[in-house]
Formats: sequence, C-alpha cells, structure tokens
Amino acid sequence: MSNYLIRRLWQFIPTLLGVVLLVFFLFNWVGGDPAYLLAGKIASPELIENIRRSLGVDQPYWVQLWIFVKQVATADFGVSWSTNERVSQIFATRLGPSLTVLLPLLVISTVIALGAAMLVAYYRGSLTDRGIMIACTVGQSVSILVYILLLQYWLAYQLGWFPVQGWGSTLGENLLRYAALPILVGVIVSLAPDIRLYRSFFLDEIGQDYVRTARAKGLGEGRVVGLHVLRNAAIPITTNVMMQIPGLLAGAFLIERFFSIPGIGREVILAVERSDFPVIKAVTVYVAIATMIVNLLADLTYRALDPRVQLK
Amino acid sequence: MRSLLVIPLLLFSIGARAADPSKILRITFQAAETGFDPVKVSDYYSGTVIEAIFDPLLSYDYLARPAKLVPNTAAALPQITDKGRTYRVEVKPGIYFADDPVFRGRKRELTALDYAYSLRRFLDPKNRSPYAFLFEGIAGIETPDRHTLVIRLKQPDFNFSHVLAFSLAGAVAREAIEHYGDESAARPVGSGPFRLKSYTRSSKIVLEANPGYREVVRDGARLPRIGGVEISIMEETQSRWLAFQRGDTDIEYQLAEVAPTFITADGQLKPEFARRGIKLERSVDPEIIYLYFNMQDRTVGGLSKEKIALRRAIAMAYKIEDQIRIIRKGQSIRAQYPIPPGVAGHDPAFRSSLVYDPRAANGLLDRFGYKKGPDGYRRLPDGGPLVIRYSSTPSERDRQFDELMKRSLDSIGIRLEIHKERFPELIKLENQCRLMMRGAAWIADYPDGDNFMQLLYGPNAGQSNNACYRSPEYDKRYERSRLLPDGPERDQLYREMTRIMETDTVWLLTDSRYRNVLMQPRVKGYTKHPVMHAEWLYLDLE
Amino acid sequence: MSLWQLAWRRFVRDPVGVASAAVVLAFTALAAASALGWIARDWSSEVAVSYAPPPFMKEELLGEEMRETASSAALPDYGIQDPIAKELAEVRASLTEMAKGEARAGSLVFGADKWGRDVLKKAIKGTETSLLVGFAAAALATLLGTLFGAFAGYHGSWVDDFFNWLYSVFTSIPYLLLVLAVAAVLGQKGILTVVLILGLTGWTGIFRLVRAEYLKHRVREYVLAADAVGASNARRMFAHILPNVSHVVLVQLSLHVVLFIKSEVILSFLGFGVGVDTVSWGTMLAEAPSELILGMWWQIAAATLFMALAVTAFSLFTDAARDALDPRLQ
Repeated sequence: MSNYLIRRLWQFIPTLLGVVLLVFFLFNWVGGDPAYLLAGKIASPELIENIRRSLGVDQPYWVQLWIFVKQVATADFGVSWSTNERVSQIFATRLGPSLTVLLPLLVISTVIALGAAMLVAYYRGSLTDRGIMIACTVGQSVSILVYILLLQYWLAYQLGWFPVQGWGSTLGENLLRYAALPILVGVIVSLAPDIRLYRSFFLDEIGQDYVRTARAKGLGEGRVVGLHVLRNAAIPITTNVMMQIPGLLAGAFLIERFFSIPGIGREVILAVERSDFPVIKAVTVYVAIATMIVNLLADLTYRALDPRVQLK
Repeated sequence: MRSLLVIPLLLFSIGARAADPSKILRITFQAAETGFDPVKVSDYYSGTVIEAIFDPLLSYDYLARPAKLVPNTAAALPQITDKGRTYRVEVKPGIYFADDPVFRGRKRELTALDYAYSLRRFLDPKNRSPYAFLFEGIAGIETPDRHTLVIRLKQPDFNFSHVLAFSLAGAVAREAIEHYGDESAARPVGSGPFRLKSYTRSSKIVLEANPGYREVVRDGARLPRIGGVEISIMEETQSRWLAFQRGDTDIEYQLAEVAPTFITADGQLKPEFARRGIKLERSVDPEIIYLYFNMQDRTVGGLSKEKIALRRAIAMAYKIEDQIRIIRKGQSIRAQYPIPPGVAGHDPAFRSSLVYDPRAANGLLDRFGYKKGPDGYRRLPDGGPLVIRYSSTPSERDRQFDELMKRSLDSIGIRLEIHKERFPELIKLENQCRLMMRGAAWIADYPDGDNFMQLLYGPNAGQSNNACYRSPEYDKRYERSRLLPDGPERDQLYREMTRIMETDTVWLLTDSRYRNVLMQPRVKGYTKHPVMHAEWLYLDLE
Repeated sequence: MSLWQLAWRRFVRDPVGVASAAVVLAFTALAAASALGWIARDWSSEVAVSYAPPPFMKEELLGEEMRETASSAALPDYGIQDPIAKELAEVRASLTEMAKGEARAGSLVFGADKWGRDVLKKAIKGTETSLLVGFAAAALATLLGTLFGAFAGYHGSWVDDFFNWLYSVFTSIPYLLLVLAVAAVLGQKGILTVVLILGLTGWTGIFRLVRAEYLKHRVREYVLAADAVGASNARRMFAHILPNVSHVVLVQLSLHVVLFIKSEVILSFLGFGVGVDTVSWGTMLAEAPSELILGMWWQIAAATLFMALAVTAFSLFTDAARDALDPRLQ
C-alpha cells in the first residue's frame, strides 16, 4: 500500500511538469501578447518594449520557463499583470465566494439526488420511476444558459424573491441572500444528471447476488435499498462527488458571471481575456495539483471501502 | 436636469452644509476596474474613480457647453507664453491631501512640486504608462517656488491646458507612492473630493466624501453634497437593468442594449417610467465609430483609381442605417464628420459624401473591371481572387457587426472572410499594419478636434493611425492646423482634410452613440458632462 | 443469439425507447433534408421586419425602415477633387429609377430575428448544424478516447503511464485555454473548428472508461486463448476485445453527442461558435441574453424547444439502448 502511495505521489512530478510545459507552450503560442492590452489607446513601440520588459516576457523562453518552474516550487506566482494584485491574494479573496456557492450546491444537490435516486431505485420499473427519469432527461436537455436567464428574470426580477445579482461583505449575508439564487440554479441544473447517474449506480448494485440473498433472508425492500445497496453504491457515488471538487476550483464561471459573484471562475475568464499569464499559470497549477490529489484520494477511498479492489 | 445657478446669498451665512453621510450614490461599472494609480491604468472606469480621488490643476465647468476649462486647484487658467510653448500655473495655497498614515499625522499641503512629480511620473519609462503619449510634448518642468509650476513644451501647443485638466493628471503625493509601492493602485491618496473607503477588486468600490476637502461652495452648500459613492461591477446588461428597475442603483447609463424598453422611437422616456419619477438625459458621446481600410494592404490599400473604387464601393454598400437601427437599436446618430458634436472643431453643416448606394457600388465595381467569377463572387481586375478580410473579436457583440458586413458585401458580390482574434492580438496586428479592414472607435481624451484629426496623421501610423494612412496632402495640412488655435482658419483646414480622407476613402465614418442616462427620482442636479466622468462632486440625493 | 440480436429484441419491447428512436430519426431526417437544401435553404433571407413577433403579439419595437435615399445633391468639395468623380458620375447616370424594395412580413409563425430572418427556418437549419457538430465531435472524441484507452488499458506499464499522464495534463488545463489554443491554431474556420475543439478536448471521459474495460478484459480467458494461438497485439485489441467493449463505446458516443450539442451552446456564448455564414442552436441562444431583456422571447423559445426535443429523444434512446445492451439488467 505504501509502495502504491509513494509511486502515485512520485507521479505528481512528471504530471505537473507536463502541465507546466503545456501551459507555457500554449500561452506563449496562443495566449496573446498582454503588452498591447496594457499599452492603452496609443501604443508606441517604446512603450510596448517597456511593458514587455517589466513583465519579463522579453527574456529568452528557457529563462521564462525556468522562472515558471521556480514559481511552482515556491507556490509564488508574483503579481497579476493587469491589476498588480498579488496572485496569492487574488486566490485568497476569490476562493471564498466561489466556495460559498459551490459547496452548499454540492451538498444540497447530492442529498436531493441521492434521495430521489433511491426512490426511483425502490420503485424501479414503475410509472413513478419512468416519469421521474423522463422529467430528468427533459430537464437535462435545456442549456444552463437558458436556466440562468429565465430563473434570474422570473424569480429575481419579476417576483423579487432574490436579489438579481451581487455580493455582500459578510458570510451570513452572502450565504443567505446573494448565494441563494445561484445555488438554486446550480442545484436545478445538476439534479437531473446526478439522479440519473446515482440511479444507475443503485441499479448496478441491485442486480448483484448479495441483494437476492438479502431478500431471500426476508429483509424488506426498504432495508435492502436503504442500507445494503446504499453502502455499496456509496463507493462510486463518493468518487463521483470527489471528482467534482477540482471543478470547484475552476468555479462555475457562467453562474458567477451572470450573478456578478467575485469568484475564481470569473477571475479565470478575466485573466484569459486580459492575457494575464500569472493568474492563468496559478490557476492551472492549482487545478492540476487538486485534480491529482483528488484522483489519488478517490482511488484510496475506493480501496478503503471495497477491499476487493486491487491497486497496482 | 439643470440645477439653478442661483448666486447664493446664503453663501456667507452660518456654515454651508457639509457632505451628508446618509446620502450614498449607488452606480455600476460594466467592466472591472484595474486600479487607482494614474500612471498604471488606461481604462475608462479606473479613470472615473481616479478623477474623483485626485485633483488636476484644471477642470471643466460643470454646466457650460461646449466644454469650458476652469481652474481647479490652480488659482487661474495657465498663462501661455512663447507662442504656445510655455505654460505657467499658480497652485492655490491651503489645499491639503486626505489624511493618511503615510503623512505621519501631519496635514500635508498640496504644492506645485506635487504636480511636477505627478507629471514626471508619466514620462518615466519605468512606469510604462499607457497615457504617456499625452505628456510626450513636455520638454521640461520647473517649480520656481512652492506654488508655481512652469511647463515648457517641445512644440507649440495651444491645447495643452486640456492635458492639465485630464482625469489622470491629478496630483499624487510622493510619500504615498514611495511607501505603498506596488500597492499604490489599491491605496490612492489624493486631495480630491472623495477618498477610497473600501475596495473589493473587480466587485465593489466604495468611496466616501473626503472630510479634508477644500471649501468649494455651490448653491449654498459645500461640495460634495453626498456622503459617498458605492460602485458595483456588473458585467451583464440584464443584471444592471434589473438592478436599476428595482431601485438598487441610482444612475445607470450603460443600457444601450435595452434602450428600446425605456425609450420611445423619438427619444423620449416611456410613460411607465416617467410616472415613477425616473428621469432621462440624452446626449451624444464625443466619439466617432468608423470602419477603416489598411492603406498598406495589398488587396484594399493604395491610391490607384481601382483601389479607390474598391474601397468606395464597399463604403457605399455598408448599410449604416441598419447598424444604427438594428444593432444600436436607434441609439446613435450618423457620424458625418471626424470630429463629433460637442468637441471644438466640429462642423455641424458638413455632410459625408459617402452615401449608401449599393446599386451605384455595383456599377462602380463593374466599371473598374471587378468581374464576377463562376462562383458569383467578384474577382480582381487582373483575374486574381478577391477576398475581404474583416477582423473582429470573438464576442457576441462583434458577431452582429460581422453579420452586417456579410450582408453588405453580399449585396455587391464580394467574398468575405471573418478573421477572429482576441483583442490584444488584434491590436498588435493592427499596430503592425497587418489587418485589412476593421471597425474602430475613438472617444475624446480632451474636447478638441486635434485629438481626432491626429488619427490619420502619417507619422502616427503603427499607433493611433490604425489605417496606416500616409498622405502628404493630409499631413501637410495637419501640421499647419497644429499651429492654429480653434477658429475658422483651422476649421477650413479640417474640412479639406476630411475631404481628402473621403476621396481616398480611408475610413467610413459610421456613427456616434447616444448616452442615455437614467436617474432615480432622488437624484438631483445631475447632468452628463462630455469629458468629465465623475460628476459625483456636483450632484445631490434626496 | 449474439449480444446485438438479444439487445434488439429487448429494445423493441420498450415503448419509450422506440418512440425516442423515432424522434431521433425524424430529427436526423430533418437535418438531412436541410443539408440537401430541400428545406430552409433560404434561412438567411430577410423576409420580415426586424424582430417580427409571432402572430398573437403586437409590438413594434424598432423604427420603420427608411426609404433608401441616395442623395444626388451636390456637396461642396472644399477644393479637393475626387479621383474617381468622373467614373462615379457615369455610373450614377446609367442607373435607372429606384428598384422597389420587397415587402417585409410583419409577423411570422415563430417570429423573426434582428435582421428579419425566419426563426423557424433558422431553427431547422440550426438542427442540421448542431446535429452535425454533435455527431462529428462525438465521433472524434470517441475515436481518440477509444484508441488511447485501448492502448493504455491493454499494454499497461509505460504506455499506460504515458496516457495517464496525458489525461492528467489535459484535465488540468482550464478548458477556456484549451479552447483558445485550438481556435488559434485553426483560425476559427467555422464548423470544423468547433468540431475539433470539442473532439480534441472531450476524449478524456471516454478514455477512462475504455481503459477500465480493457484492463478488465485483457486478463480474461478468451484473450489469453487468442494469445496462445499467436494473435498479434493489434488483433487482440481490436478484433477480439473491442467487440466486447463496443456497447460501452457506443453508449459513450451517444452520451457525448448530447454533451457536445449542449457544449456548442456554451462555446457560442463565449464567442467560439460557428461562423456568420451558418446558424446553430448555439448561435441562436447566444443572442438570448440581449433579446430576452427586450422582451423578444421567440428565438430562445424556438431554439430551446428544438434542442430539448432532440436532446431528450436522444438521451432516452441512449438509455433504452444501454438498458437493452446490458446483460445484467433483467
């Protein structure tokens, strides 16, 4: 086990290196020249040169790459090219709002989806099952863009139940007032696919021999589904939930944009639009590390929950 | 709405009212700011906040139209000597910077030395200021005494006072800049009417009235009358519009996309909004929007008759009326002259000779040998393929212009290729004169026509002259115009230069947009100034 | 009976599956008819006034189109001569009287967009584009994911490590940056660019699944038997294992068609959609924010309706197919 762990941790390095190389390559190739954006209305060649020098992009590529590698090692990506804010500062301040929306969203949608999936698994084959599944399918066929627009217009503007957009200064205010509608929209959008997925996990388990045995032993269907099946389905469900966590870092940028939430997703879009390489570098590296850690944790959890699984 | 300029008899009575902290103005920006250090920013929104926090030497009269320069921290308008080469300004004594820990508990007086320092910062290449170009004409700055500033220019320039009134030309304190270093953009310390109270980047900016602001009285009250400004960054029009309608914001003017919902076809506020006491103020922005041809391009550039005919035909096929009616939703006017209304040098009687006439355009192309090939699209007179490459950014907004361009070129049988590139890359290619055709806009930095006519000046190719146009006839007249003050002689030169631009068909001027400002009933005394952005100093809230 | 025959039998007994298959076929037929030019060929003609509403609504939001006035009044020339004045005058003189503009409809069944184009025809043409993008991108992603997954799962060791590394790297880069990269390389040539963006960035899920399948299968007896009779690696990978894995692959293909049709909407919103010479559901929906706020709901309604029908049908079809193919579920 510890061998496996060490192997996996070692693999972080080439992966991270690959990410670093790819991002560097991509950015310098297609990331655009930020000097022109920073130069403003009238860009004399001297000004452009000045800017490029101060950003450090006039140096040869291998020097810039080496600086990038050092930055990864020290987790210090310097300052944003467009606002001069420290990148670590940017992350510290934007992570909060993103998580304030996405963590409750994750919890609420998982709980509801689990409940609904268990329900349809219990009543599988019935009209209820069919009905809910078709409703899910239809719900899933509408673009998130449409949901955001319609719900914002209807619930926030017409009915006035929520603020149209914005963000406050305290956690309580944010959670209860400003994050409410974004969370609602997010839950609605993710319910359908989650229910379908969890239902399939449950059904996979229900088809197993141990369930037939449990029934043969006289256990009620409720106990079978609610206790035994749930425990076994917990494995893929947990891994699925964990897989969504790196997504939290990247932020749900559409929701953040329409609801004016100062989160990471919106920051990434801004950074890409402004060719703000330090921010892009930092986000990519953090997401890469988070993805690797989460993948590892998922695999370990898998092993912990199911001793039959062999990790090589 | 114009406030009454009653000479206040009450001016000298018991204490003019000070800023009321309960009056907070709530507005929005539609794009994120970048910071509040004058030398580090170039965007409009940062400039607006900077204008409220710092004090330039000069300013503009709030109500006078066309824009009129008035002294701000200066005792009087500058003395211009040496045929426009030397400017001498006295700084009023008794003006202080806002209190800040960096001044170590002492009141810090504003002096000419501060202006010398602030202006020199623009010229320092280490600061790489995007607006360095405005100050490039400065040959030297002297401060014979604490309150006197003398600026010597390299060339005669009668417009330099506008530079001294520019929103970014306010005075910064050396101690603050040196102490805060990289953080200077987030820790602005100025002598202006407002100071930064709290700041969440790209999200919310809160300003409060500067308690140490010098005494400026108007209508019996000290300015600013309001206690603060709350600025929220909202990128989506829907969000801004809904916020205004719910009364969450007080003034909103970035609503071009939804204008038809609150404005009738003849520019009046719709009754359902007027009933609620909401006010509308409409003005034309001092800007021009135009399509340019890269005069150095192989396909569309050059001054031969065939190429002029090609550009002329494209200009005559582009349906500006649809741009105004459908894309702008009626919220712009046709730009006939390179200098927009409200800017010195504008000619209201001038009519562009580039009129919409697709049939004549087709005829012109036939006449000059641009025959249609088997695929229905025209070819060059020598038989080679003809493709117009129109560049734009991959945004939904630009897509509408792409569609209009396609329809227009289809009407004259010319094949179109849309070149998509992100904005910074586009600018880079443009500066290298490697684009073929693109839409561009220019808004006045200061209210004088020279700021617009320099866009076609040969030596500016590769910078602001995005058409990369070099015409000896134009340049000759431009250089002469620089030596003249605003007046009939200069106007005549400008007319000739415009005619040259049209006969060479370098640009197609399309429109200038209306600024529709909506105000809640509680906003008093607000009127949009053509050049000043931060009118917060002058308005009041009930 | 083979897996496929059994599956077919089970499939036809499912009314929902059959119904959804019928709808999918109908949409495919619609797309094909549009592609062949039998219907919606003139989708881009401006037949109505700008934002013409459906018949039961009565708003005129934008001003009347002004009559074309090519001014022939002489303008002062301020002493500057026009180099082509002579030719222009000749052309103008030779033009006959003004051609009358065609009448524009005041309202259409599904309304019109800002340029006066029929929304219904746009939706039909959009079906063709969106389905094409969805299918082509899914095919590409499936091809890549299956190839990579097969190699990784089958060979193991350094091959597996390499593909896992590629997978980690790909999933770590912000999606937007990847999209930009592909767009920059290809220069945004419309449909092809969109297909490549989606296909080249969307193979990762399929890769993981196929890899898992190959890991499972390569230790099975039938594979070892094949090895014993000297079958080459390639033969074993593709002739022996692949057929047993194909049901997983096909379901993934189907799922990704749906996913990419929806992703195309987001790409269009971000500005990386198809060009202005064609229309897709994505480009119709991308105009939605600015239209909805003006009260113009017909384009968003039409696009959402068409998309919802097609995607729902496709998803239900996929579900039914998956249920039919799964030997355990009975």
